[in-house]
Amino acid sequence: MPPYEGEYVATRWRRRRALALSAVSIIVTALFACLRPPEDLPSSSVMLQEPATPAKHEAPQTSGSPQDLLTLPQALQQHRNPEISNPGIPREFYFSRAAYTGYYRFRDYRSWQVDFPKADRQFLIGLRRLTNLDAFEAENPVRLTDPNLGRFPFLYTVEVGYMALTELEVEGLRRYLHAGGFLVVDDFWGTYEFENFQSQFQRILPGYPIVDLELDHPIFSCFYDVEEIIQVPNVGQGMQGGPTWESDGYYPAVKGIFDERGRLMVVINWNTDLGDAWEWAENPYYPLKFSTYAYQMGVNFIIYAMSH
Amino acid sequence: MASWFENVFEFLFKYRPLLFERGELSLGVSWPIILVGVAAVVLAVPTVLRYRDVRGKSSARDRLVLTGLRTAALLLLLFCLFRPSLVLSTVVPQRSFVGILLDDSRSMQIADVEGAPRGSFIQETFGPEGSALAKALSDKFMLRFFRFSETAHRLNDTSSLGFAGARTHLGRSLTRSAEELSNVPLAGLVVISDGADNSNAALSDTLLELQAQKVPVYTVGLGRERFTRDIEVSRVEAPRTVLEGSSLIVDVTISQRGFDGETVRLDVEDDGRIVSSREVELAAEATTVRIHFTAADPGARIFRFRVATEEGEMVSQNNQRDQLIYVEDERPKILYFEGEPRFELKFVRRAVADDENLQVVCLQRTAESKFLRLDIDDSEELASGFPKTREELFKYRGLILGSIEASYFTHDQLRMIADFVSQRGGGLLVLGGRLALSEGGYAGTPVADVLPLVLSPAKERSEAEELAGPAFFSTLTVKPTPFGTTHPVTQFGPDLDASAERWATLPPLSTLNDLSSVKPGATTLLSGTGPEVDEQPVLVFQRYGRGKSIAFAVNDSWQWQMHHDMPLEDMTHELFWRKLLRWLVSYVPQQVAVSAEKHRYAPGESVSLLAEADDDRFLKVNNAQITATVRTPSGERFDVPMEWTVDKDGEYRGNFLPREKGIYEIEVSAMRDGVELGTARGFTESQDLDDEYFQAEMRTPLLERVANETGGRFYTRETVARLPEDMSYSGGGITVRERRDLFDMPVIFLMLVGIVGSEWGYRKLRGLA
Repeated sequence: MPPYEGEYVATRWRRRRALALSAVSIIVTALFACLRPPEDLPSSSVMLQEPATPAKHEAPQTSGSPQDLLTLPQALQQHRNPEISNPGIPREFYFSRAAYTGYYRFRDYRSWQVDFPKADRQFLIGLRRLTNLDAFEAENPVRLTDPNLGRFPFLYTVEVGYMALTELEVEGLRRYLHAGGFLVVDDFWGTYEFENFQSQFQRILPGYPIVDLELDHPIFSCFYDVEEIIQVPNVGQGMQGGPTWESDGYYPAVKGIFDERGRLMVVINWNTDLGDAWEWAENPYYPLKFSTYAYQMGVNFIIYAMSH
Repeated sequence: MASWFENVFEFLFKYRPLLFERGELSLGVSWPIILVGVAAVVLAVPTVLRYRDVRGKSSARDRLVLTGLRTAALLLLLFCLFRPSLVLSTVVPQRSFVGILLDDSRSMQIADVEGAPRGSFIQETFGPEGSALAKALSDKFMLRFFRFSETAHRLNDTSSLGFAGARTHLGRSLTRSAEELSNVPLAGLVVISDGADNSNAALSDTLLELQAQKVPVYTVGLGRERFTRDIEVSRVEAPRTVLEGSSLIVDVTISQRGFDGETVRLDVEDDGRIVSSREVELAAEATTVRIHFTAADPGARIFRFRVATEEGEMVSQNNQRDQLIYVEDERPKILYFEGEPRFELKFVRRAVADDENLQVVCLQRTAESKFLRLDIDDSEELASGFPKTREELFKYRGLILGSIEASYFTHDQLRMIADFVSQRGGGLLVLGGRLALSEGGYAGTPVADVLPLVLSPAKERSEAEELAGPAFFSTLTVKPTPFGTTHPVTQFGPDLDASAERWATLPPLSTLNDLSSVKPGATTLLSGTGPEVDEQPVLVFQRYGRGKSIAFAVNDSWQWQMHHDMPLEDMTHELFWRKLLRWLVSYVPQQVAVSAEKHRYAPGESVSLLAEADDDRFLKVNNAQITATVRTPSGERFDVPMEWTVDKDGEYRGNFLPREKGIYEIEVSAMRDGVELGTARGFTESQDLDDEYFQAEMRTPLLERVANETGGRFYTRETVARLPEDMSYSGGGITVRERRDLFDMPVIFLMLVGIVGSEWGYRKLRGLA
C-alpha cells in the first residue's frame, strides 16, 4: 500500500462524523452564546473553528525569486515520490491544488486535502496519456498566499463548503483570478455548503454572480464532447450502488463565475465529486461511467483553461 | 581667393585663365624648323668655343652657371621670335543665341541676402530699367528668356515673374529650354537660380545630353549658402498605412542653423489636435528624434509635425511638415499554430482579445491528431489541421509557430512556410518552447533559412531523458538592446527613460531553447541574461524576401501578466503582444495593392497611380483587368483605367489630373477571367506644396556641377559681371577664330630681366664682372 493512503485518505463516514461533532459544537457554542451578553457574539455565526494556520503569521513558502520557481512547494517536497521526475526542470503544467484555510480539521487533515494526493496523481496519469500536455507527474499543493501562485494559472480546490479564508488568502485568490488564473471547484454538496462557498466568494469577487453553464458552452466541447452533466457520487455510494446525492444536493450542476469581459474565471462542480472518481478510477468496483465522465470533465477544464 | 588669383594671372599672362582654357596655343613662325635649328647650332658653336677658351679666374662651375643663364635668355628670345599666340573661337556679335533661365519658384521669395528677396536680383538685372549685365549680354547675343520651376516656359516679360512655382525641377527645365532653342545657333544657357532643386530626379542624363549637344550652361547662384538662423523639420519617416489604434513611433529630423544647444518643442497634430509632443535639444546641425503617438481615428489622416517658429528665423514655412497616413480599420488574420496545450496561447489570446484590428486564429494540437480551433470564421476553416496548400496558408497575413516540432510538417509544408515569408511577404513569428527552434529539429529545414537565428541540430535524447523534461532551461532577465530601446514594439511609455524604467521592473522569464547566435543581417531587439546563459537573444527579426521573420525565444511571456510583482492594472503584457502582432502584419502585401507615387501633389500636377496584382498563390498577374475609381474631395467619382507596365510583372499604372484641392480616395478592383482577385484602397492629396521652403539654402555644389560638366562656369552676384565676356569664348553659336599674340606677355619680360639680372649678380658675387 502506498504510504499516503493510510495517512491521508478521508472517507465519507469520517467526514460525516466530524460534521456531526461540529453540529454538536455549534449547538453547545450557541447555548453558551445565549448565556453571554449579545455584544460578545461572534460576528459570523458560521465561524466554527480557528483557521488551521493563521496565514498572516506564516512565512511564505518561497520568496518568489526566479530560482525559487524551481523549488517545489514544501508539501510536495515532503511527500514527493522518488519516481517523480526532477522538479528542478519546470514543466508547462502543474495540477495545482489550493491549500486554503477551512473549518474542517481532523488531526493534521484539512478540508483542502480531501482525496489528496491520490486523486491528483491518478488524474495526471490519465491527463498525460489522453493529451500531449507537458504536465508534471505529481500533485502540487500551493497556498493562496504563496507569491508563486501566479506561476500556476490552473488551480483545483475541493470541499469549499468548509472554506474559511483569511484576508490574505482572499486577496491572493482575488489577484490570481483577475490576473488570468483559472479555478476549478469540486466536491461540495447541498445548500449549506453552497451558501458557505457563496459567502466566501462574495469576499473574493464581490458582485460577481454565480451562473449555470449551459451545455453549449465551449468548456463542454473543447476536447471531449460532454453531452450530459451527471452526478458523480462519493466512492462508497458509487461502489455500493446507493443514491448518488449527499445532503440535499440531489441535482448536479456546473456553474461559473465570469469576469466583467465575459471571461470564465471559476468553474464550480456542485453536488458532484470528480475527485473521488479520479481517485478510485483504478478500482474495478468503481463504475466506469463516473470515472469516464470525471476524466472527460477534468481534461476539458484544463484544455479550456489553457486556451481561453 | 579665386578672383585674386585670376587678377594676378591676367597681369602676368595678359589674358584670364578662362581664355587659356578655351583657346589653343600656337607658334606664328614661318621659317622651317630645321633651318631655325641649323642657325641656332651655327650661332652656338662659336659661342661655346669662345667660352671654352676663356680662362681667367673663373672655375668650371662658374662657366656652367653663366652658360646656362645666357642660354636661357637666348631661348626665351627665340621663343618670342617664334611669335607665340592664343587662337580663340569668338562669337560673332548678334549672331548667336543665349537662353536665360530665370528661377520662378517660391524659394526665390526668401529674403536671405541684405533683407532682399533672391528674386530681386532678377528683377533688377533683367527688369525694364535694364543693367550693365543685361546690356553686355544683349550686345553680344540674341537673348531668349525662360521662366522655370517644375519645367521651363518661354518668357516675354520678366516683370510677369511671380516666384510662385511649387517645385524646382532643374533637369527637366534645362532639357526643355535646350530643345526649344535647338534650331538656332546656341552659344549657351544661363541659369539664374538658388539651385534648390527638390525634384529628387537625377541630373546626369540631362547633363550628358547637353554635353553631347555642346551646350555650355552658365549658372548664377543666388541666396546664402548657409542661413544664419533657421529651424527646419527636414524629414519625417512615417508609414503610409497603419492599423487603427496602432502606436506609431516616427523618426523626425530637425535641422538648424544658429540654434546650437537650444531646446525646442516638437508637436504632432492630428486634425489640429495635438496628439503628442516632446522637447528636442538641438545639439547638432541635424537631430533625429523619435516621437510616439497613436493613430486613433480611422481613414486618411493628415498628421502635422511642427516646431514653433523662433525669433529671427529666415524661413518660417519650413518649421512644419504634413504626412498623409491611411489609418486602416481592418482586421488582418494571423494563424497561431501551437503544438501542445500551453498557457502562452491563452495569454496571447487574452492580450489581444480587445484589439478589434487583430484576428488571431488559433490551431492548437491538444493530443495526437486532435486539434482545437479558436476564432475561426467558419466551420471549414482549418478543418483538416494546418494548411496543406499555399492558397489556404497565404490567406493569413501573419503566422505564429509555437511549440511544434518540425517533423510534424511535411517537407512541402515547411517549404510553404518559407514561401509564406519570402514570396507572399507575410510575417512569421516563431515562439520559444520545448519543441521549437533547434530543440524542435528545425535546423536544416527551409524554415531555418527564413529564421533570424542560427539553429543547431537537435541533440539525440533517450526516451527517459525526454520524459524527464526539456534538455535546456534557464531563467532570463530580459532587457532591450540599444536598437530595441527605440523600436516601436519594445519601447513602452512616452520616452526612453520611462521605457527603461518599465523594463527594469519586469519579472524574469524562462527559456527552453539554447540559442547560440543570430544571423548576420538580423537585428536583436531584446536579449536576456540568466544563471545558465551570459546573454541570449530573446526577440530577433530580419527581413526575408518580401516579408519578415521574428523569433521570440521565451517560454512564458505570460509571467508579465501573472507574476505577483506585476500590478493588476499593468498593461505591459497586453501592450507588448498587441504591438508585436501589429508589427507582424504591418506592411504585409495583399493580393491587390494601390498607391499614388507621392502622397501629395500640387494642383494640376498629374497623379501617377501604381497598382499591383497577385493571384491567391501570390504569383504576379499580368492579364488582370484593373480599374481605379477615384473619389474627389467633393465626392465626385470617376474611373481611371490601369494598364500593365510591361517592365515589371504584376505592375499596373494609370494617371489622373486632380482639379480640386483635398484628399482623393482611390479604390481599385482587379479581375481575371471574370474572377475577382481582390480590392485595395489608397489615398493621395492635392494641395499647395511647400517643398520650396525646405533645404532652400543656395546649393553651390549643384550649380557648379551643372556648369563644370557642360563646359560652362559658375558665378555669384559678385562675379557675374564677367559672364558676357566668358560666354563669347564658349565656342557655341556662330564664331570666328581669332589669334592673340603672347610674345608681349609681361611674364616674358619679367623672366628676361630676371635671367639677365641673375647673370649680372652672379658675376658680381664671384668677382667676374
